[in-house]
Amino acid sequence: MQTESLEDSKNSFKSFVFKADTKEYFKIWIVNIALSILTLGIYSAWAKVRTNRYLYASCYLNGSNFEYNAKPKRILYGRIIVVTLYALFLLFSDYLAMYAVAGAIIVLFLLLLPWLIRQAISFKLKSTSYRNIPFRFSAKTRSFYWLVTLAIILIASIPLTLAVLAKFMPGFAAFLAFFAYIFLFTILLPAIYRRYKLLVINNAWYGDTPFRFVATKRDVIGVFMKMGLLTFAISIALGIIASVIIGYLSAMGYTKASNTILASNVLLPYLTLFFGTITYLFIIGLFKGISDAFLSNLGRNFTKIKDGSFKGTIHPLRLGFISATNALLILLSLGMLYPWAKIRYLRYKLENTHFACSDYESFSSSGYESRNALGEETLDFFDIEIGF
Amino acid sequence: MTINAKMYDGKSSKEHSVAIEITQNGRFKIASHGIDLALEDVTISSRLGDTPRLIHLPDGTRCKSEENDTIDRALSHFSLQSPLVHKLERSWKFALGALAVIVITITLSLTVGADFTAKMLAKNLPQNSLDSASRNTLKMLDKHYLHKSNLSNEKKAKILHLFQKLTDGEKRYKLHFRSSPAMGANAFALPNGDIVLIDSLVYLDKDPNLYGILGVLAHEKGHVVYKHGLQGLIKGAIVATVIGYATGDLSFITTALPTMLLTSKYSREFETQADSYAKMQLHKMGISTKPLANLFLNIENFANKKSKGKSSENRFPWLASHPITSKRVAYFNNE
Repeated sequence: MQTESLEDSKNSFKSFVFKADTKEYFKIWIVNIALSILTLGIYSAWAKVRTNRYLYASCYLNGSNFEYNAKPKRILYGRIIVVTLYALFLLFSDYLAMYAVAGAIIVLFLLLLPWLIRQAISFKLKSTSYRNIPFRFSAKTRSFYWLVTLAIILIASIPLTLAVLAKFMPGFAAFLAFFAYIFLFTILLPAIYRRYKLLVINNAWYGDTPFRFVATKRDVIGVFMKMGLLTFAISIALGIIASVIIGYLSAMGYTKASNTILASNVLLPYLTLFFGTITYLFIIGLFKGISDAFLSNLGRNFTKIKDGSFKGTIHPLRLGFISATNALLILLSLGMLYPWAKIRYLRYKLENTHFACSDYESFSSSGYESRNALGEETLDFFDIEIGF
Repeated sequence: MTINAKMYDGKSSKEHSVAIEITQNGRFKIASHGIDLALEDVTISSRLGDTPRLIHLPDGTRCKSEENDTIDRALSHFSLQSPLVHKLERSWKFALGALAVIVITITLSLTVGADFTAKMLAKNLPQNSLDSASRNTLKMLDKHYLHKSNLSNEKKAKILHLFQKLTDGEKRYKLHFRSSPAMGANAFALPNGDIVLIDSLVYLDKDPNLYGILGVLAHEKGHVVYKHGLQGLIKGAIVATVIGYATGDLSFITTALPTMLLTSKYSREFETQADSYAKMQLHKMGISTKPLANLFLNIENFANKKSKGKSSENRFPWLASHPITSKRVAYFNNE
C-alpha cells in the first residue's frame, strides 16, 4: 500500500514545458532592437514587454501557459527616471568633477536599494498570471530594510571584531580569523539567504493562495556546503589546468615567440585581453550556472502552495556548462547567438522544474493590482539580480 | 466565424472550453455562457509569434486561443487591428533588414557620428566648460601623485621663458613644474590650459636650449587648442553608450576590449594632430624639430635600459599612449 501511494505522488509531478522557438524568437528579438534604435530607445519598453510576453507565453504547466501583463508605458516611465538619474550622476562625476554631488547620488541610491528590490519583486510577480490569476506580493518595505540592516551588521561584525582583537591579541586573532570566516560562509550567509527567501516566498501569492518556503536552516546550510565544495574543487582543477598550460607555453614557446609578431608590443596586449576575456567569461559563466542550479533547486524543493509542491532537478555541472558555453558563443558570434543561448538556458531550467498538485482548478483570485516599474527598471539597468 | 478557446473568469483558476462566435454584424458571442458583446469592447492582444492569443473581456474574463489566423482574419475584416509589428517580426527579410539597421547604426555612430558629435559639441561648448573639472583634477593629482619640482631655478626660468614665447603671453596657459616617481617621464595638459611638466622628462632632454621640452609643451598646447580633452570625454561617452547598448545583457568585461581598441584609436588620432600642431608651432618660431626627435629617442633608450625585457609602459606613460616612437622620430627629424 505504502509503495503504491508513493508512486502516485511521484506520478503527479509534471514538468514545465518550454515551447519557445529559436528562429521565431530571433526575429522578434532583432526587430525589437532595430525598432528601439530607430525610435531612440523609446520602443525599448514595448520591446521588453513583447520579449517577456513571448517567453512567458511559451512556458507551459499542465497544458496552460503563463501570461505577462506589464504595461509598456509604466516601463518607459521607469526607464526615463533611471536613465536621467544615471546621466546626472555621470555629469557630476565625469564631467564636472563635483564628487560631493555624485557621491550624494550614490548614497541616495544605496539608501533606496532595499525599497527598489522590493518594488522589483512586486512588479515581476504582479505582471505575471497563470490561468488569468495574477501573482501578488505583500511584503512590507520595512521588512526589506530590516533584513538588509541585519545582514550588514552581521557580516561586517566579523572583520570588525577581528580587527579590534588583532590590536590586543594578534596571535589569537589570526587563529580565530580562520574559523570566523568558515563560520561566515557556512552558517551566517546561508542563514541570511534563508531569511531573504522566507521574506520573498512567504509574501508571494498566487491569487488568494500564499506560497510557503519550508527549508530549515540545516537544509540551506547543506546546499551551501555542497555548492562551496563543488566550486572549490572546480577552482583547484582550473588552477591545475592553467598552470600546466602556462608552464607548457613558457617552456616551449616563449623563447621562440619573442621574435614573432606575438611578442611585438602592438598586438600582445590585445591578444592577452582577448584570451583573458574569453577565459574570464567562461569561468564566470560556469560559476554563475552552478550557483544558479543549486539556488534554483533549493528554491523549488522547499516551496509549497496549498497541497502543491515544486521539485528542481537541475544538474549544477550541466547548467554551468550551458552557461559557460553560452557566454563564449554569444561573444564569438558578436551577439547573434544571444536568442539561441537564452532559450537553451531557460529550456534546460524549466524542463527540470516540476510541480505536483491535486487540483489545478481550485485557486481563487480577487483581481489584478496596479504596479510601478521603477524598481524593476533600476535593477535591470544596473544588472542586479534579485534571485527570484 | 467560430474560434475555439479556453476561458478563465479571473475569479478562479477553473478552465472552460468555449466556442467564440464572431457574427457578421460585429458581435462577440459565447453562447454557453450567455456572453454577447460588441467586438470593439473586447481587447485582443497583438499577435506575437505563434503564442496563444489573449482576449480580454470588459469584466476581467480572459479567453485564450491558438487560432491566430482566424482571429487575424476577423480583426482585419472589421479593420480593428493591423498586425504591423507581427508582420515585421515574422519575415526573414525584415530580420535581415533589422540586422543591417543595427550594424550600420553602430558603425556610423562609432565613426562618423562620434567624430561629428565630438567636434560639434567641443566647438560649441564654451572654452571654460571643463575648467572646474580641470582644477579639481589637478588638486586631486597634487594630493596623491605629484610633488614639488626639484629643478634648479635656472632651468625653470629657461623653460618658462620658452613657454612664454610659445603661448605668446596668453593668460589661459599655465605651466606647472612637478616631480612624480609614480608618473615617470611625463607631461600632460588639462583642458583649461594647465600644463604639467614632470622633472624626469626634463632630465632626459640633452639639448642645451631645451628645445625638446619646448616641443613637448607645444604638443601639449595642441591638445588644449583642439579641445582634445572635451572631445575625448564625448567620444568615450558615445562608445560606452553604444557598446553597452549593443552588448545589452552581457557583463562589463566584454565591452572592455572594443572600448579599449576604439578609445586608443581616438587617442592616437589626437596625438597625431597634436604632433603636427607642435611641428607647425616650432616652424613658426624658427626652431628645429630635431631636439624633439632626440628627446623621443632618449626616452625610449632610457626605458629600454631601465627595464630590460619588461614592458616600459608603466614607467613611461607619455610614450605608451602615443603613436609608435620610430614613426614620430622620423616625423620630427624630417623638417
